[in-house]
Amino acid sequence: MKIKVLSIPVQDQEKALKFYTKTLGFIKKVDVPLSEENRWLTVVNKEEQDGTEILLEPSPKHFEPAKTYQKALFDAGIPYTQFNVENVQQEYDRLNNLGVEFSVNPKEMGTVKIAVFNDTCGNKIQIVEML
Amino acid sequence: MNKMTFYQKEINRIKGICHSNDGQIQTVIGMRNYMEDNFDKELNLDLFSHIRFTSKFHLLRLFKKYYGQTPRQYLIDKRITKSKSYLRMGMSVSETCYSIGFESPSSFSTLFKKKTGKTPTDFQKEQFSQSQSKVDS
Repeated sequence: MKIKVLSIPVQDQEKALKFYTKTLGFIKKVDVPLSEENRWLTVVNKEEQDGTEILLEPSPKHFEPAKTYQKALFDAGIPYTQFNVENVQQEYDRLNNLGVEFSVNPKEMGTVKIAVFNDTCGNKIQIVEML
Repeated sequence: MNKMTFYQKEINRIKGICHSNDGQIQTVIGMRNYMEDNFDKELNLDLFSHIRFTSKFHLLRLFKKYYGQTPRQYLIDKRITKSKSYLRMGMSVSETCYSIGFESPSSFSTLFKKKTGKTPTDFQKEQFSQSQSKVDS
């Protein structure tokens, strides 16, 4: 078995694609139209385009429990997932300038530094730097 | 005034419990940085423990406690990541092997295969064919 795709639930795929590529800097990898306006839509990181893909899946739109779960995590400020960065402060500054909203500002937690932002698609996402 | 979220409260709680020993944290961070800078050399914990005035075994335990991996595991991962980027740049397998601090290309190849599922040669071939197909398309 291989870890090829992991998913993030998003409320609006088109908006998510824009945020994850234009703002976060990922690259679109697969985009297959499925039923109605739904797509099999994945992104990868630039430096490792053959690496694990993230599926931006429209589950909160079509499956009530997914919507409830997503909202509960969001309201509690709990990140849905996390990405690693070289430098949290620099990434925080860059995203902040682009108008991204942070619920946890850069903070050292033992051997890592973290920050948490709103992905505008229903999730909090954590960025992590190993110290 | 924003109310603290559940997550923010948890972060503070965990920080208080797990990350209160700043001396230990600074020691393991120093150790990781040392490995980051010296991944191409033989890992010398004796030297490091001498600098930090702590026993080698204490250092090993501390590192595992805070990073969840032994220093050796960490170093191996670091070297494999580094070797991938050298191979992508077109460096030969033996050159790559010596650049990441390995003595023998055959033990490097074995380890590389164990960690990535392919030999360094196959990995390199694959990378070139991928970048070629990007150019072609």
